[in-house]
Amino acid sequence: MMEWIQNHPLALGGLVVWAAGLLWLMPGSHVKVSRPVVPGLILSAVGIVLLCLSVGKPQPEFADEVLFWLFGGGSLICGVLMITSRNPAYGALWFALATLCTCGLFLLRSAPFLAAATVIVYAGAVIVTFLFVIMLAQQSGAVAYDQKSSHSVIAILASFVLLGGIAMAIQSQGEQPEPISADQAPAGNPLSIATAEQPVGQLKGLGKSLFGDYLFAVELAGTLLLIASVGAIAIAPRREQGTL
Amino acid sequence: MTIESQRFLLVGAGLFILGAIGFLTRRNLIMIILSSELMLHGVALTMVTFGRMHNSNEGQAFTIFTLTVAACEAGLALALVLTLYRSNHSLDIQLWSELREPDLPSPIDADELDSTVRPENPYGGIPKLTPAGRIPTEAGKPASNVSGGKSSTA
Repeated sequence: MMEWIQNHPLALGGLVVWAAGLLWLMPGSHVKVSRPVVPGLILSAVGIVLLCLSVGKPQPEFADEVLFWLFGGGSLICGVLMITSRNPAYGALWFALATLCTCGLFLLRSAPFLAAATVIVYAGAVIVTFLFVIMLAQQSGAVAYDQKSSHSVIAILASFVLLGGIAMAIQSQGEQPEPISADQAPAGNPLSIATAEQPVGQLKGLGKSLFGDYLFAVELAGTLLLIASVGAIAIAPRREQGTL
Repeated sequence: MTIESQRFLLVGAGLFILGAIGFLTRRNLIMIILSSELMLHGVALTMVTFGRMHNSNEGQAFTIFTLTVAACEAGLALALVLTLYRSNHSLDIQLWSELREPDLPSPIDADELDSTVRPENPYGGIPKLTPAGRIPTEAGKPASNVSGGKSSTA
């Protein structure tokens, strides 16, 4: 571990700076006045950039580089702003932006169908439902429990220790050629393995995987959706007759 | 794995961690559910990257199932949130700390208790279950009236 810290000082610095920025942005448990957003945002952004730079410099095309920084940095910054926003409506909107940036990352990882599905399901359906519930259940004005967070220091510390562990595990893997060759790939689901004619993420190959290898799981997922919709209707409170 | 993949895995881990922090620290029920959705995004990005690394469509297929389950989860969780709001007229998660076992300490700090406005009848709308089994006892105290199968209705 010490060796990793010595070899990757950027990663450790990035983690510390990012954690400091989050601590600054968190709705305080003791401070009454809200701090300005900009310093915490700058700290978080610097931390994220340092952490991403610590893995080294790939040689992709310039456009790929720009798109990665746009979408990756955008999703993380929107996530930071989401979990620190004092108004849940703004939190939901930042979450929608983070979702869009994640879909951009899906596109860069050659998953166009998944990106479209995520935009439709999350930005189209889930966020709208969240905003409806916020309108139905949110009290007017600022409420006390949105202005305070509970146990923020210890939660951020523990989470960033976990993130450091994950970063160490990712970076301690040596560089291997990619994609992993066919004899190393798991042979359990032959229909899912991409071929030269159908590279990863093509709709035809994905459909073969879903409706070939995972047909029963698709049926189960449909049943789950049906049961969940029935359950949501059964659980949701209904008003008495004749009242608004 | 190449450096390109490592960066995407790192972004996925960062999204997961941000969601975890939001889940642990926020006190608004809606924000807690939103944070769990952010964690799902991180996992989805990681699985897509792994699928590309292994030259297989399984990662994306699995992410589609995650998407399905996330949609179900959001619908059910928001229905539950509305039910809880109906009975409490507040979205504060700490109002529900009374649901713990009787011998556990309160998770709320003493200085936070003042700011928590307690409604008049927080558990009024909750349906009552028929008592069954042994009557729970607090730690250290012996059970006073443990009746075997049938417990008296409270």
